[in-house]
Parts: sequence; structure tokens; C-alpha cells
Amino acid sequence: MTNEYIPQAAVIREIIPHTEREWTFRVETDGTNTKPGQFYEISIPRYGESPISVSGYADDFVDFTIRNVGRVTNYLFDLKPGDKLALRGPYGNGFDIEEFKNKEVIIVAGGTALSPVRGVIEYAYYHPEEFKGFSVICGFKSPAEVLFRDDIERWKERLNVIQCVDGAPEGYTGPVGMVTAFIPDIEIKDAENLQAIVAGPPVMIKFSTLELQKRGIIDHNLWVSYERRMHCGLGKCGHCKMDDTYICLDGPVFRFTDARKLFD
Amino acid sequence: MKQIVSKEAFNEGLAKLLTEYDIYGPVRHPYRGTHSDTDKIQYQQVHSFDEMEWDEKSQFSPKSAVLPINQLLFYFVEDQWLEASETMRKILVFLRPCDLHGMKRMDEIYLNNGAPDYFYERRRKMIKFVVVGCKETYRNCFCVSMGSNVPEDYDAALNIRDDHFELDIIDEDLAVFAGREADFDIDYVTENTFSIEVPEEVDSQYLAEHDMWREFDSRCIACGRCNYVCPTCTCFDMQDIYYKENEDAGERRRVWGACMVDRYTDIAGGITFRSKYGSRMRFKAMHKIYDFRKRFGYNMCVGCGRCDDACPQYISFSETIEKVGAVMKQKLNEEDPA
Amino acid sequence: MLRDVNTRKVMKNAFRITKHKYKTALRVRVPGGLGDPLVFRTVADIAEKFGDGRIHITTRQGFEILGIDMEDMPEVNEAIQPVIDHLDTNQEKRKAGYPASGTRNVAGCIGNKICPKAQYNTTEFAKEIEDMIFPNDLHVKIALTGCPNDCIKSVMHDFGIIGMCLPEYDQSRCVACQACVNKCKSYSVGALSIENNKIVRNHEKCIGCGECVLNCPMLAWTRSPKKYFRLVIMGRTGKKNPRIAKTWLKWVDKPAIMKIIANTYEYTAEYIDPEAPNGKEHIGYIVDRTGFEEFKKWALKDVELPERCEVVPTVYWDERKIW
Repeated sequence: MTNEYIPQAAVIREIIPHTEREWTFRVETDGTNTKPGQFYEISIPRYGESPISVSGYADDFVDFTIRNVGRVTNYLFDLKPGDKLALRGPYGNGFDIEEFKNKEVIIVAGGTALSPVRGVIEYAYYHPEEFKGFSVICGFKSPAEVLFRDDIERWKERLNVIQCVDGAPEGYTGPVGMVTAFIPDIEIKDAENLQAIVAGPPVMIKFSTLELQKRGIIDHNLWVSYERRMHCGLGKCGHCKMDDTYICLDGPVFRFTDARKLFD
Repeated sequence: MKQIVSKEAFNEGLAKLLTEYDIYGPVRHPYRGTHSDTDKIQYQQVHSFDEMEWDEKSQFSPKSAVLPINQLLFYFVEDQWLEASETMRKILVFLRPCDLHGMKRMDEIYLNNGAPDYFYERRRKMIKFVVVGCKETYRNCFCVSMGSNVPEDYDAALNIRDDHFELDIIDEDLAVFAGREADFDIDYVTENTFSIEVPEEVDSQYLAEHDMWREFDSRCIACGRCNYVCPTCTCFDMQDIYYKENEDAGERRRVWGACMVDRYTDIAGGITFRSKYGSRMRFKAMHKIYDFRKRFGYNMCVGCGRCDDACPQYISFSETIEKVGAVMKQKLNEEDPA
Repeated sequence: MLRDVNTRKVMKNAFRITKHKYKTALRVRVPGGLGDPLVFRTVADIAEKFGDGRIHITTRQGFEILGIDMEDMPEVNEAIQPVIDHLDTNQEKRKAGYPASGTRNVAGCIGNKICPKAQYNTTEFAKEIEDMIFPNDLHVKIALTGCPNDCIKSVMHDFGIIGMCLPEYDQSRCVACQACVNKCKSYSVGALSIENNKIVRNHEKCIGCGECVLNCPMLAWTRSPKKYFRLVIMGRTGKKNPRIAKTWLKWVDKPAIMKIIANTYEYTAEYIDPEAPNGKEHIGYIVDRTGFEEFKKWALKDVELPERCEVVPTVYWDERKIW
């Protein structure tokens, strides 16, 4: 009988601030069994556990990108490299890179939801030849809230990356608009076999999948990552259930053929 | 082994078991009800059969004996996590047939939905069940409709008679009672005051868009009583607490959760799902009569009727099931008028 | 035909001197406001046989049977006997009607006979008090109310007895749903807060309304089986200086209240103004005259207050001319 609830204390190797409020915590733990789109239960000091998506990983570390939402996460943002974080995981199915290889891929992500797909993008960056095309539309509220800035610039070298913001102060020269506004302009060679991933808040998922369907992407090839309250991560606590599906066990990544049947 | 046991011999046997077992049963607490001069009947540890209340339905189910309301999981100090211990004593729970059927459903979630739950399994292994036969139905019961009226898979069962007990011992460890062998059946209710039909076909997606739930948006007050009294509601919340004197040390617990209560679905970024109470009602109803069945092959609800007993707004769950049935029937008729 | 009538005696016998000469009305006491068909039937019969058919329901939960000829008073007294017997009202002489009218009917809200919020049976308590203080000519008004909502308006009485729930918390049953915290805040005084996922109750703030218990889905909050009360004193209506009663004792119990009321009668007998018109002086005015300290000295004589009882050392009333 293994105790799945017991967290492991893991040393924070590095803290990478993206914005004032969003930092990536690079944590020393075995990442060999980790997949993009999976999540860990992280013990937020003075609060409790919270499901956090893996935003990057290697054999000896896993990255978590966390937004400081105030009271709940304050203590977390007081931590320094060398401090420890209690975590358990990984949980959930995550993305299977094999599904995307030798295909055209479009990823649409909003805000912190870039985390669950970042691993897929990183893979494509290092292995662009394994894809028939790779586009990323990532949207943020404002220029100040852009995450993974350096990564995005780097990705642009090898992949088709559109980084947009919902709104911007005067003088901003980058793309402005919702992510959905940029879907119609993506060049598509073979819609029928194209794989698309959408990750973001519920409203974004709703409208982005609609736009992608308009471009001829079929539901079977459309993937979404759901964010619900995966409280225990083990299919017991009930909080993340949608209809008959436990997001923590059966998700959080779904083909849209399955996801479109899900409702709260 | 079936035997007739006198009251004295029964109490003597129970006294023997008490050396090895913690015994749980329903206990009446006078003046401790919701309203003044009313009573509360809840499950808790007892030390004799006389402490148990069997004349009236207990307001709360025996699930607290198996899944403690507040369960300590860990102590933590800095980065050390110390697992909380579980009782080393065996546990005997006296309960009605419907509630034993409820236990089967708890087991299903905690042992078979994903990997077995460590803390649940650890305690569950210590537990045996004694069914107390049901002679008469209580108000709001519909166990017969849910097929949970017949006592099954018990470790022991008994009928309470005027001056003796009829005792059916299955687990030999419990065979400590002096009595004479006899033949009898454990009582069970074959008819409730009403019966309902649980619809075979439940289209949860269709129902999710149906306006039948909107009446509950205003009728329901989202207090969660229906969840907390339910023998088959298994959800929990986890809580971390930090000692006042040393905020680097504390405890992680889990406590009963409720899908009807605010914050159940809240995620970071201020996002809430099912903010309408009627939608929560649907979510709960679907779990009880549809999605659990889809996963495990039988209905979750056991028809104990405690949700109806407890609802301060007079919302009837059994009637809600009937409303679901009517909506499904209408849908099928519209699709195929023949 | 009556010609000479001693109005004092008539009034003391609970018959009213009305604006219509030689026509009276009988004031029927119903302690705690709880009647039954026999009471109502008898009252109805009297109204039909002796009155003009009209029955007024009084503000103190009694009946006033209107339009009775003064000549019929002895017969009416005989006819009301079943009500007096049935409600077990103290009487000096059978079939002679009510022996006094100064101390008013002890009124009670519906109480916990049916009200979900009430902490106790107001009628039963009212009857116990009635039994102790009636008959008496001293002008005293007492009302009992089940909870701080005070539906009986006990704060307009000399003694207002308000039910208090002492909430007891079993934290092992608490699931931190916070229904109690929210309800206490929105319906009551905000005496509850959450700390480390458990509830903290501010006893100083708590008014014993019982909302925490009523709204606790786990019954982690329950009522102490011991009944507690808040005693508010010397409220009044009237031409001169009406005022709201003020809290004197919090978390007091029934035996203490009974003794305090009994003591107050002794105090009143001692200090009532012998020159008062018709020998009637409202107790609140007596307290105004003697000062609160003197009243307190008498009222608390030999009273055993429960350990948790909180006593307001000196009660001040808002004296405010409302005209």
C-alpha cells in the first residue's frame, strides 16, 4: 500500500520571474516520467495543495509557472532558491508527443495555460523536422503579462509563433487582439490531418475550438486541456468531475470528440 | 450461524467484542437537534447496545465511522511529513441494510476509482458490519425502489425482538454469543410508502440543458445538508492548518466535502463552475442515478431518504428522480412518437 | 336593574368601565397566549349569550368580550369558570371571576411550540410566572419571547424575557462550510470567524440567537440543553416617557428570573407612591424614583445567578421625549 498523498520535499533550483506576478519555480525532482499537460499537487505554504501544470521538465527538474494571486500564494513568492517545495505527482494523462509527430500542429494558448503546452512547443523547437508545420498563437492580457518572453522569442526562430495581447498601451507594435482573431490567418496545408491544441480559460476554449473547426480541423484531431479543481489528483475527492469524467484521472487532456461531451 | 440470543447473552457477547473492537452505532442526543427541544441522532462510538437508537432513522449515516468527518492525514514540520496513525483496534459498525449498501458505494469510489485510497483502505480493513434488520419503512425511504432493501454481504446481522435477538453470524471472529440455534430471516422492508422508477436511459447532456433544474435555482439554499447526511456522498476537501505558536508546523486533514456548497468547484483566477444551485442539484442527481452507474454498473443512491428528511426547503430527491424520468420519457416520445 | 356600581371592584374583577354606561366588557386572561377549542368555545358562548357578539383580541393575548350588561356580571363570572379552570388561573373564590387585573396577562410569542427559531416554550414559562404573580393589583407587564427577534415586543415591558441559545461547538463535526459564519454575519451580530479551518466564537458579541445551530448542516453547532435567557427591564409604553427596556442580565436562567420577579413585587409594595392616583403606579416610574441601585438590591436578594450570567452593573435607559 503506497501512500499517494504524501508529498516529497523538493529543492527549488531556480526562480524565473516572467512578470511581476508570474514566476516559474524550477524544482529538483525526477522529471523522467513527466509529460507536458500533466500536473502536480503543490503544497502552497499557509494555504494547502493546489494543482499546478508542468510548464517544463528535464530528467532532474520540473518547472511550475505560478501566478501570485495574493493572499493564497504570498508565502510561495517569498521562497528563495535552496528552499523546498512539497509536491506530489505527476497526475493526469498529459500530451502524448507521438500523436503530433509528422503532422501539422497549431497550438492556441491563453495566459498561464501556456504552461501545459510549453513542453510540446519545446519539443517542436528542438525537433522541428519531426513536424509538417508548427504554429503557436499565445495570447496574454497585456504586454506586461507576457510569460516565457525569452522562450517565445527563441521559438520564433524555428516555429511560426504569434504572440498577441488583448489590449496594449499606445505605441505597442506587436499583434493586438484575442487569440481567436489570429486563427483565420494561420496557413494550413492539410486541415484534415492537422492536430490542434487549445489550452486556456473556459471561454477561450469555447471560442478557439469554434474558430479551429471553421478552419476545417476535425474534432478527433483537436485537443484541449481542461482546468478544474483537481484537488486530490487521485479520483477520490470528486471536485474535478465533469459529467462522468474525472479530469484528474481521465484528463486533463482530451480529444475534442470526448471533450465536447463534457460539461460541468 | 443463526441463533437466538437473550438480551443478557447479547450484551455479554458485545462486552467480549468490546475488548477487541471499537463499536459504532446511532446515538440519540437529546436537545441537540437543529431546533430547540429536538434531538440529534448521529453515528458514533458506543459501549453498549442500549446506547444505540433504532426506533427512529438516524439523521446522519454511518459513513462517519468509515470516513471520519475530519481525518488527520499528516503532521508537517518544515519539509518533514509524518503520516498520522490509524486505530489499531478493529471496528464494528451497526447499521441498516440500506446503509450497508451505501458502504459498497463508498468502497467503489475509494478503492476502485483509480488506485485504492491509502487512508481509506487502511481504516476500511479494520471494519466489519453488523446489519440491523428493518421491519418497517420510515418516512421518505425508497430503498425497495433502489434495490438496497435486502441485507447483503454483512459480517453479522440481527433482528431486534421484544426480549431477545435473532443473530446471524457470518464472520467467525464475531461468534462469541451464547444462544440456541434457530432458523429465521433477517428482517427487511419489502414495500416503502411510495416507490419510484429510476429511468434506465439518462441523457445527462440533454438534461444539463433542460430547464427542469431552474426551479431549484431559487428553492435550494446550497446548504449541503443533502450531501452531508447522504451515506453515499464521498467527496472531501483537504485542509492545511498551521499551528499558531509555530507557523512552520501544522497538519493536513481531509474533511467531508459537498458539491452543493459554495467553493466546491472554485479554481485559481476566481473561476467557479455551477454557480446556479439548480445546476448543482443536477450534478448531484446525475452522480446518484447516472454517472456512477455508468462507471460501476449500479445506482449510487440507496434510497435512505435522509436528503429529503434533512432538506429545510422541502426539496425531495426521490421526486427529483421522478422528474428526471418524466423529462426522459418526454424526450423519447418526441424522438419516436410510436 | 343596577343602580349603584363600585367601579373599583368591577375593574378589579376584570370588567371594564366602558364609554357606554351600564355596558361592560370582560377581560379574559390567556397566559402565554395559548388557547384551545374549549377556551374559544366558552368565550364565544359568553359573547353570544351575554355580549353583543363581538370579541376583541387584545394586545396582551387576552379576549375582551364586548357589550355585556352590567347586570349579567355574576352570571358571566359563572360562565367563564371553565376557562379559568382549564387555563389553571389562580382564583380566590370559584365562580367569582378574576380576582385582580393590575398585573397584566403574561404574554408570550409563539415560542418553540412551533417556531424554528425559538429557544424555549414561552407559554409554559409564562404560565409558571402567571402562577407565581397572579392575582396581584400591582401594575406589572411581563412578556416572553423565544429569541432575540423579539416578536412579542418584550422590550416594551417591565420584564422582557428573551430566549438565548448557548451554542456549543463540536469541532470534530465541523467541515468548515462557513454557513454559520455567513449567517451570523448577515442575520445577526457577526460573532463568528474562521481560523485554521475551524470556527471561533466571540462570546462577548454573541446574542444567543441560535442562527449558527439552525444553519449548521453537520450539527457541529448544537444548543446547550440548559436554557438561558436575556432579561431586559423597565421598558414601557404610555403618555409619559415611553422607552425601550435595557439589558440587565445576559445568560441568566429560569430560577433566577422567577426569584427576581418575586422580589420585584416586594420592592414595589415597599416603594409604591401611597399618593398615586387610584393606588396605581407603574413599576418603571418607581425605579426612576428610587434609583436603579435600590431596585437592584431588592431584585437580586437571595438570587443565585448562573455562573456564566453577565450582569450589567448599572442600567441606563434612553430618556427621550418623543412628542
